[in-house]
Amino acid sequence: MQDGASLSNEEIRDLVRPDHVHRRAYVDPAIFDLELERIFGRLWIYVAHESQLKKPGDFVRTSLAGNEVLITRDEAGQIRALYNRCPHRGARICMVDHGSSRLFSCPYHAWVFRPDGSLATVPHRKSYPANFDLDDPQNHMQPAGQVATYRGFVFANLAENPPPLAEHLGPMTEVIDNLVDRAPDGEVDLAEAGFILEYRGNWKLHMENAADIFHPSFVHNSSVSPARKAPPKASIIDQDQTREMMLANGFGIKEWEGIQLTGFAGGHSSMKSFYNSGVLVHEDADPVAVRYKAALDERLGPERAAAVLAMRGFNNIVYPNLILNAQYQQMRVVIPLAVDRTLVHIRCFRLKGAPEEIFHRAVRFLTTLGSPASMIFSDDVEMLERCQQGLVSRAGPWIDFSRGLDSDLRDDRGQVSGAASEMPMRVQFKAWVERMTAEAA
Amino acid sequence: MSTAEMARAVEAFILREARLLDRGEFEAWLELYAPQGIYWMPSQPHQTDPLGVPSIMYEDHAILSMRVQRLLEARALVLTPMPRTTHLVSNIEVEDTDGDEISAQAAFICVEHQGERQRMFSGRHAYQFARENGSLRIKMKRVDLLNCDGVHAPITIPL
Repeated sequence: MQDGASLSNEEIRDLVRPDHVHRRAYVDPAIFDLELERIFGRLWIYVAHESQLKKPGDFVRTSLAGNEVLITRDEAGQIRALYNRCPHRGARICMVDHGSSRLFSCPYHAWVFRPDGSLATVPHRKSYPANFDLDDPQNHMQPAGQVATYRGFVFANLAENPPPLAEHLGPMTEVIDNLVDRAPDGEVDLAEAGFILEYRGNWKLHMENAADIFHPSFVHNSSVSPARKAPPKASIIDQDQTREMMLANGFGIKEWEGIQLTGFAGGHSSMKSFYNSGVLVHEDADPVAVRYKAALDERLGPERAAAVLAMRGFNNIVYPNLILNAQYQQMRVVIPLAVDRTLVHIRCFRLKGAPEEIFHRAVRFLTTLGSPASMIFSDDVEMLERCQQGLVSRAGPWIDFSRGLDSDLRDDRGQVSGAASEMPMRVQFKAWVERMTAEAA
Repeated sequence: MSTAEMARAVEAFILREARLLDRGEFEAWLELYAPQGIYWMPSQPHQTDPLGVPSIMYEDHAILSMRVQRLLEARALVLTPMPRTTHLVSNIEVEDTDGDEISAQAAFICVEHQGERQRMFSGRHAYQFARENGSLRIKMKRVDLLNCDGVHAPITIPL
């Protein structure tokens, strides 16, 4: 293992070939430190949703490039990102994940801060030096970079001069648009509860798996096979949604080849949906879907509503660590803890103005696919950990992502499309090399 | 059946459930549930809504049957090697033994060993039973994990 500072750009480039990547990208702590600095420290990173920050004082605690940060709405209505650390003695200030508070008080010596980070009061002021100034920025909670939003999604960026958020998101704005446009009231709320899973593997493994269309036939056989043996529509609580979701992973090779994958500059990619039956599609006979479509028609007009619903995507990867599924209102945020430890925050959204049952289905989707007891995702987690365990071994340092390399189609805008292809991983690593070797903005 | 006899029957039922899970007799375990029975493991402390708030598990007999199949036959990757468990159930309190509605609560610890890892789960159980032809079946089992809203690794064997 080498020290991060000694990794030259040439050494970084040498880790990625068109069809292979060196195992060191997943196991070297020095590489991980560089990723925090150059990827998570320089790109726009999702940190909160505006529905969590409705009024001044509302806050969310999260992680940004290895730092704990608070995302707050200040008295002027502006959204801020602040390091969760008291500038006095360095203690963490806020110990809850979300809430609302007009003042943040450090329990150690009772310095009190406003939601914009400024210092409101210190007790026993006269014991501090004469030149101690409440307005001196060095006595404030430190800003954690810049904040920008896109249709309710809040991103932060630690770079000095980052490009505009929309430029980073590129075509992925369409995915956020599609999620929000599905709401008859034109807004989505992030559901308050979700799941947090930790796996003992590198963060990139999950981002790659989420864009991998070929593994379900093998990894998810243990949920496909019981679903095939189970009688249809037997459940009294979920309109057969769990069984349908488990069944869908049982496609044959030919069917998986029909699922379009598209890769974009910047590491993003999209995947078409492969859920084709039952409550997972809005069947004509489904009274909930009928009510929902009527509500959406009323807002958007039938033509536009039909176009919104026709955009059927599954896992959309917003590089580096956000996964959005607009059709089923699902979100995953992948948070790197260490080179071999990762958190996955799994949440869903409520389409405002839609029938309550539509939200219940999103919650059911979350439970079936994202719960720690999920009969699907638990097998993914097992594979991510086995990959990490295998990659520790020094023998044969190159691993393969060549599938589809000869059949991918490239257009003039730099988009690549493929079927049953590992193209999204190649697209992710192309962005990885670019970011890891770029000068600070 | 006297109240004391009923309390003993409920205790024996709960301990039998723990033993069936420890022995991997998942089909017999599922038999303990009424056809309309539900197993509920909330994701939040004091959760009251199983539909609008996600649950770690909210499964009826039909979904539990698929889970049992997966545990027994399907060789799930995450069940390789098969975990071994000790389900300890204690502090059993039987309530409402009048009529056919019987409920009970208990505290549990489950130690799970798999491969190189040993883990511990703990929390409280709340049972609602139905009496069918003199025998007990579970209408609802609620499992409140201490760390329900914490950071999780995959959970495979029911608690």
